Amino acid sequence: MRGPGSSPCASCKLLRRRCAKECIFAPYFPPDDPHKFAIVHKVFGASNVSKMLQELPVHQRADAVNSLVFEANARVRDPVYGCVGAISYLQNQVTQLQMQLAVAQTEILCIQMQHEPTLQSHHEVFELDQDDKAHLLHSNNNSINNCNNNYNLAYAMSSGQLNSNFASPSSIIQMQMQDPLKQESLWT
Amino acid sequence: MNPKRCAACRYLRRRCPKDCVFSPYFPPNNPEKFACVHRIYGAGNVSKMLQQLPVQTRAEVVESLCFEATCRIEDPVYGCVGIISLLQTQIQKTENLLARTQAEIAVAQTKHSQNQHSEFM
Repeated sequence: MRGPGSSPCASCKLLRRRCAKECIFAPYFPPDDPHKFAIVHKVFGASNVSKMLQELPVHQRADAVNSLVFEANARVRDPVYGCVGAISYLQNQVTQLQMQLAVAQTEILCIQMQHEPTLQSHHEVFELDQDDKAHLLHSNNNSINNCNNNYNLAYAMSSGQLNSNFASPSSIIQMQMQDPLKQESLWT
Repeated sequence: MNPKRCAACRYLRRRCPKDCVFSPYFPPNNPEKFACVHRIYGAGNVSKMLQQLPVQTRAEVVESLCFEATCRIEDPVYGCVGIISLLQTQIQKTENLLARTQAEIAVAQTKHSQNQHSEFM
């Protein structure tokens, strides 16, 4: 036991062994939370976790344990995809939001384009004859229509009407395995 | 030794039986794949996980385990949780930018309708 009156850590309790003073698990797996070690042990195994912790400086071990617990929980919840399922979901969210942003930015451009011709034509209307006015109005309508077409395209993409390249767990895995550098594309 | 052992049995230096649970997913021409997964999860745990799942899902399981193991080797502290964290940050930033842009749209539309109203007065 670690000391007189102190109970073994959750890992040593589960592994049914003496909890040494320098037990590597003890700081991160207190006895009042047996589930935490149980789930990490189930997915990674005690010896693998011990090896991983030993390879890290002490000040990083708490974060490492927390991320291992997170991954283990994800794997138990989703035995097929684990954390990759969560990454896929978040990547899709990013894509959706970026499309909505593109739509909004297109809309604001349209509004700006509508403002400027209005201001210009307001000053010029007293100098133009009927033919010139008709031509000006016609060209304004064309540019607004083009702007609206782009708006409709962006909107269609965001609402999934067009074939957009959503990330599935498999495609994320393939992307990563083919080119580890592409990992950056997940969040840039 | 059987030259057609899968990468797992080669790594574990054992005979590769006909019904080896690893052999469909760890071909002998890619020894790093099993080495990576074994380093993080251990052969016993991987074998247990595969046996508990239907055959048609096992290929995806192996690929996701490889992905997570690779992430963990590259980032021993955060593993693929680091990627999740970065994605969540990106989502937050994009949401903020979207909210700002939509507010600008609302302001611009209000200004435009006010201008139109003052022209007709």
